[in-house]
Amino acid sequence: MSSRPDPAHTVGADLRADLERALASVNAVIVDKAEVVELAFSALLAGGHLLIEDLPGVGKTTLAQALSLVLGGSWQRVQFTNDMLPADILGVSIFRRQDEQFEFRPGPVFANVILADEINRASPRTQSALLEAMAEGQVTVDGQTHSLPQPFFVIATQNPLDLAGTYPLPDSQLDRFLLRTSIGYPSALEERRLLVEPDRRRMLQTLQPELDEHRVIGLIELAAGLHVAEPVLDYIQTLVQATRSHAGLRAGLSPRAALALIRTARAHALVRRQDFCLPENVKQIFPHLAPHRLQPLPESGLDSRAVVAEIIEHTPVP
Amino acid sequence: MNSHQAPLRPVAWTIAAFIIAALPHLAAMPAWLAAGIVAACGWRLAAAWRHWSPPPAILRLALTGLAITLIVLAFGGLWGRRTATALLCVMLAAKMMEMFTLRDLRLVASVSFFLIATQFLFSERLLYLGYLAVGSLVATIALVRIQNVEAGETDSAAPGAEVQAIGSAATLLLMSVPVALTLFFLFPRLAQPLWGLPDQVMDGRSGLSDDMSPGSISNLFLDDSPAFRVEFDGPPPPVDQRYWRGPVLWDFDGTTWTRPFFSDTPSRQFVPEGDASLTYTVQLEPHERRWLFTLDYPVRGPEQALITVDHQLLSRHPVTALTRYELVSNPEFIDMPDLPEGARAAALRLPEGRNPRSLALAEELRARHPDHRDLIAAVLSWFRTEEYFYTLSASPLGRHGADEFLFDLRAGYCEYYASAFAILMRAAGIPTRVVTGYQGGLWQAGSDYLLVRQSDAHAWTEVWLEGSGWTRVDPTAAVSPDRIEQGARSVIDGPRHRLDLDWLQTLRNRYDRLQHMWNRWVLGFDHDRQRQFLQKLGLPDLSTERIAALMLLVLTLVTGLVSLFLLRRARPRSTGAVDRAWHAMLRRLQRRGLRKRLEETPLEFAARVEAALPAHGGAFRRLAATYCRIHYGDQAEHEADFIDQAKGFTPRRA
Repeated sequence: MSSRPDPAHTVGADLRADLERALASVNAVIVDKAEVVELAFSALLAGGHLLIEDLPGVGKTTLAQALSLVLGGSWQRVQFTNDMLPADILGVSIFRRQDEQFEFRPGPVFANVILADEINRASPRTQSALLEAMAEGQVTVDGQTHSLPQPFFVIATQNPLDLAGTYPLPDSQLDRFLLRTSIGYPSALEERRLLVEPDRRRMLQTLQPELDEHRVIGLIELAAGLHVAEPVLDYIQTLVQATRSHAGLRAGLSPRAALALIRTARAHALVRRQDFCLPENVKQIFPHLAPHRLQPLPESGLDSRAVVAEIIEHTPVP
Repeated sequence: MNSHQAPLRPVAWTIAAFIIAALPHLAAMPAWLAAGIVAACGWRLAAAWRHWSPPPAILRLALTGLAITLIVLAFGGLWGRRTATALLCVMLAAKMMEMFTLRDLRLVASVSFFLIATQFLFSERLLYLGYLAVGSLVATIALVRIQNVEAGETDSAAPGAEVQAIGSAATLLLMSVPVALTLFFLFPRLAQPLWGLPDQVMDGRSGLSDDMSPGSISNLFLDDSPAFRVEFDGPPPPVDQRYWRGPVLWDFDGTTWTRPFFSDTPSRQFVPEGDASLTYTVQLEPHERRWLFTLDYPVRGPEQALITVDHQLLSRHPVTALTRYELVSNPEFIDMPDLPEGARAAALRLPEGRNPRSLALAEELRARHPDHRDLIAAVLSWFRTEEYFYTLSASPLGRHGADEFLFDLRAGYCEYYASAFAILMRAAGIPTRVVTGYQGGLWQAGSDYLLVRQSDAHAWTEVWLEGSGWTRVDPTAAVSPDRIEQGARSVIDGPRHRLDLDWLQTLRNRYDRLQHMWNRWVLGFDHDRQRQFLQKLGLPDLSTERIAALMLLVLTLVTGLVSLFLLRRARPRSTGAVDRAWHAMLRRLQRRGLRKRLEETPLEFAARVEAALPAHGGAFRRLAATYCRIHYGDQAEHEADFIDQAKGFTPRRA
């Protein structure tokens, strides 16, 4: 993008350099999806979670794995199935005979990055266990509360087509995810590259961690401090207001969603190497942040993605 | 809340606008109709508050049909101004029942503007201007509130919303003032009114009637509304000379004095001018009849006016609008030094078998005073010395009215005296006619004009005397000199007193002065005045078409200026020099066919410019990036550079 900041900026210069390397690494593996990678990093740096909805084989898992590897820290992959129980995710207390007491065996949720694959295959009860953990940042098993590690970032995937025997996430729980996005097919040219180049799995193995927990937390703080000018705040407010006065929606965005929008726009600005937030950041984030929080009236026959696109189309940029 | 149903506040404002517009009409309607209209408004307000649904269409239809039928029955048809305005009120009230979308609200608010203006069909009083302003403001506020809801206002009950709406409405109205002034000064006035107003413009309020029977004048005594106003070129005539000549009555049937057939045929030239001539201008309130009141005797009248044998000045058409005319009168003129036989006969005729006692008295007087002047003096002194009173509470008279009055009642008002005196004179062989009109008037010292009110209506007589022709004799003056010296009010007693408080009187006079100015400069801005006005602007002798063209031109200019003002305000907060430079650059690009869409960010637009104008795109992209740094960032150090570079940016077509 064209808004390269002055080289003079010093705020978190080395953190920014690390972030840039991390982005470059992921982009080397995930071909032609710079925007999706930016969104994923934005969700991470805004302290939220990411839901990727797409067909099998377009690279959801590869993206999640690449992210996990580059971020450093611990990571876990959970393949959801319909016979999975909450304990399979959260962990169990086991009675240890030699000590004559219970010992907590942490589940896969105790990691910095969780890849929750095909989350809609699990029963609602199991889904809820994960979603609660995402919301609370902690897990309670047998009356004992265990804090999750920081940073804590969930990348969930969901297959929107193969719905037989699945439990799609209920609308009310979708907003546990900061952003919802899809990947889409690569362009013809990039697909050709994909065919020629070595196997992605092998490429993944070569990825080096460019960040660690502390740097991610540092980047999150750096993003939170980015300048958002009055006109951009106006723009955010107008967009949110527009969802509240739309005749085809059951309810508009909440103030919490507006706050999330600012937070993510800041993170997106940081990912794009900007020193301040631009309307572009808001415009990029909004279509991934708003639709899964909005419910069109059933009789209106509208799709919330289309509504959000229309709102952007009609909102002047101040 | 149902998004299709209008919220309470705009509904309330719209109803308020309608009620204010309808109020003057409601007052003139049958009470049950007015009550129905108010009830409809009340129902609608309650419906907005309680979120009721509209009534079924069949009920609405039935109610509307019923209302129209009742109007036809009450007004006897669907024609006439009163009926039409009542119909409009009723239709709007019926609309209340289905006024549930913003579109309906807007319709009612818009028609309220028209409804309030229709009041000018009934009265052109200054007070209504203030009322019109208030009504227009409320209707505009209603429109603003409706617009706000449509523009996505979510909380119409927010505390600042009313103040903000009132402010916007006032601004809108103020911006309409230049347009209104242009229309006022330049809308072509026609020499002749394009259409006549139908009758009954007085709306129950009566002016002087064209005949005289007991009560026909005295019922005006309680009417304080102005009849006309007079400005004199020189000093005004003394009080006892202020007799404003109206209908001259010759025929008497025993109870009523009427105008003779020859009064309607204009036959004579005006009288010649004399040394003591008075020049004055009369501003006559509409009174639906043809008289133009004059001092004795008019030498010159306005164009189009007719003069009759007995010096009544008549307009060709009933005076339905405020009329201004300049007059010259010669009070020294001797009317009919020789009395033609026909006139003598007409001035001596009395009905058979009426008032025997008066006739006997006349015979006796005639025997005692062979000279006409002595006889008149004797009757006047008799009125003065005997127990005769001037009163407004006189009883109605029977078949021998003059007898009852002269011998039994001995109390009455000017019609009684004028009529009885004329009967006595005729019976005694002195040719006499009755003149009605106005007497006196209130001198408005500050503004130098004479205000003559309906309550100044009066009746007097003229007798024909050898050598002096027709001579005015006012028997009322003999009985009650106060009536002549101080006006009718001095003899009106009873409940009128509370209106005679000094400060109230002063207030009334002040208001009348304002009304006078309003009449003179606003309502009186007619064809001639418009020509004079244009002449002063150096545009003499413009045809009507040219005035219309001039009006359109000025209107376009004024509208353009107002729009420019609005556009400047509407432009996105471009206060700083940076924003100005940026927008100037955008305008230059727009001339090259590249228009920044509202929903485009500066950088998105820059990308598009780069694609369309490769030669300039890079430069514009850098400028746009700098603009973003200033506009969205927190750095201000690039401002001066940016402004310089932006000014130097001149895109050319590739």
